[in-house]
Amino acid sequence: MRKLISLLLVLALAMSVVACAATAPAATEATEAPAAEATEAPAADATEAPAALNEPITLGVISPNTGALAVYGAAVTNAVDLAVSEINAAGGILGQQVNVIKTDDQFDPAETLNAFNSLVSQGVGLIVGSVTSGCTSAITGAANEEGVVLLTPSATADSITTADDYVFRACYADSFQGAIAAYYAKSAGYTDVGVVYCAADTYSKGLYDSFAAAAATYGLNIKAVESTASLDVQDYTNQFASMVSSGVQFVYAPYYYDVIGPYIVTQARAAGYTGIIMGADGYDGTPDYVVEGADLTAFNNVYWTNHYDPTDTDPLVQKFVAAYTAMWGSTPNAISALAYDAVYMYKLAIENAGSAEPAAVRDALANPATTFSGVTGTFAFNDVTGTPSKGAVILSFASDGTSVTTKLVDVIKELK
Amino acid sequence: MSTFLQTLFVGLRLGSIYALVALGYTMVYGIIRLINFAHGDFIMVGGYTMIFTVPVMIALGLPLWVSVFLAILVCALVGMATELVAYRPVRKKGTSMTALITAIAVSLLLENLAQAIPQIGPNPKVANKIFAAGGIRIANVTLDWTTILTICISVIVMVILYQFTQKTKIGRAMRCVSEDKPASILMGINVNRTIVTTFAIGSSLAAIAALMYIAQYPKVYTTMGSILGLKAFVAAVLGGIGIIPGAMLGGFVIGLVESFTTSYVSSSMADAFVFLILIIVLIIKPAGILGKNMGEKV
Repeated sequence: MRKLISLLLVLALAMSVVACAATAPAATEATEAPAAEATEAPAADATEAPAALNEPITLGVISPNTGALAVYGAAVTNAVDLAVSEINAAGGILGQQVNVIKTDDQFDPAETLNAFNSLVSQGVGLIVGSVTSGCTSAITGAANEEGVVLLTPSATADSITTADDYVFRACYADSFQGAIAAYYAKSAGYTDVGVVYCAADTYSKGLYDSFAAAAATYGLNIKAVESTASLDVQDYTNQFASMVSSGVQFVYAPYYYDVIGPYIVTQARAAGYTGIIMGADGYDGTPDYVVEGADLTAFNNVYWTNHYDPTDTDPLVQKFVAAYTAMWGSTPNAISALAYDAVYMYKLAIENAGSAEPAAVRDALANPATTFSGVTGTFAFNDVTGTPSKGAVILSFASDGTSVTTKLVDVIKELK
Repeated sequence: MSTFLQTLFVGLRLGSIYALVALGYTMVYGIIRLINFAHGDFIMVGGYTMIFTVPVMIALGLPLWVSVFLAILVCALVGMATELVAYRPVRKKGTSMTALITAIAVSLLLENLAQAIPQIGPNPKVANKIFAAGGIRIANVTLDWTTILTICISVIVMVILYQFTQKTKIGRAMRCVSEDKPASILMGINVNRTIVTTFAIGSSLAAIAALMYIAQYPKVYTTMGSILGLKAFVAAVLGGIGIIPGAMLGGFVIGLVESFTTSYVSSSMADAFVFLILIIVLIIKPAGILGKNMGEKV
């Protein structure tokens, strides 16, 4: 009996170690028949013949399916499943069906690279992912080396895409997103502003940088800057107390929903800060992460920038929202909309290129004549960096004290 | 003045949590000389128990904090199971190093097991508001009732634990086991039962800490115990591990250092200063602030 228990223990230990070491391969799952040999090996040797017709096209997906940002992971995989099932039902791309291989990056840059390598070893040449800037920046170099096209739905950090490479994104970049916030501050009549950001996070730091740059352009005066050393910090009271003592009425706080909902907004109000808290697309999903029973009027006067608004009356948006709701039973967030667009961008690029060969798809995507119309707007990659030129929406939270809702404030097509 | 007060109150708020968690570390260490790295994850277990039982309390019309009793029960069971399944067999065969590594393994195992349960999953959960808002206002700065309550609970727990280990029969048995295991067997003490009891009490403390934690920082996620546990462990070492008042002192020192660094030095340097202070204290006083240097028993 004793032997048995210790044996079980050793087994459990071994499993926990293995689970840590080998998460990437273990987390890799093919939703449909894995078609490793069907897709062409990534263009390490670009002279190889393109994939034969009628063999399925395989799209790889890298997203944080577990971990702190698992909401985003589900948003991406749900939207990709929807787009792929629509495409396959309509006859596929160039007559070929589309397969999806999903991998999990756990919101961890090291795991992102593992997920990427596992996709490459399965012969995937076209990847949708990853979701966050921090994770995506871990694989952009590898994507260029391997000649694998990487189309991230939502990594907004400027450094993600550079001229002439294999990395693209479906969203706008932080230099635009931060600038919209500064533009909004100026148009709402604020001249003194403050910033609270996370110094250790690519996304938060990138938005702060772009906000600061745009603030200089618009003549805003950044009177107070406070930061946190990690995204695990629970207490933001001191940071906002410093905003109060500097007298600012507009604070830019680029964080994610899991910090905004339970911590930042209520703590800022408790510290005596009553002005505007403005954020970016990371605020998407906050209403599901507020404290029930607390005074939720704290969420009034919170604004954020996003990629699309589900109440938009554009027929493309309404068709997508209806299809997504029918398939998954919930309203799609902006990350879903971007991931959905990313799959259709691949479709358009593959059709224009006439092949799913990564180098050809890359050229088709980078061609400024390729104009894409999707849920998140009509755009082309008309600058060389692989970032589309598109508009943004400004949303705000509204609360009657017991629940928090989102409402559309403004749609900004371009900055003046 | 108001900045100073605000910073002080935030420091007390963080410190009260660290102190409460550190008490659990120091309690187990004091008895069996094992640093129970899974203690932080017991807090996660307690947190999730409350997340799932709070709706029941709402349905029954009871105050929400009553769910802590269920959390205490669940945590005590998990703690005892950990001792029986993992620590005891390892302690029998291996050295104290094996036991330490087992504790780390149990910690990771609990985090990953929790994530594998579909009702928990990887998404963080936000707790309901447990205690009413409000508190004492001094110079326009509020010290929350929840913070005051946490400090009071920590003090009460500290006093009870101390009296328990000094005055009761089980408490005396625990101290005997910690001093000399073979001799306590000769004295007719059931060592194994004593250690299991220690784990039950230590894990119940984790449930109380979980209640106070989610009352102030209402987010529960599977890895919440790792950073919290690490800071509390540092607090216990700083105060002198194994010494019950030391854990409280260490907790408040860490909380206050963190808060004052944020306000007066640099808001992103808080953790760096916490660990710098730890190193300095350990250089000057290796046994911790309240610790006494004792020679190794032969």
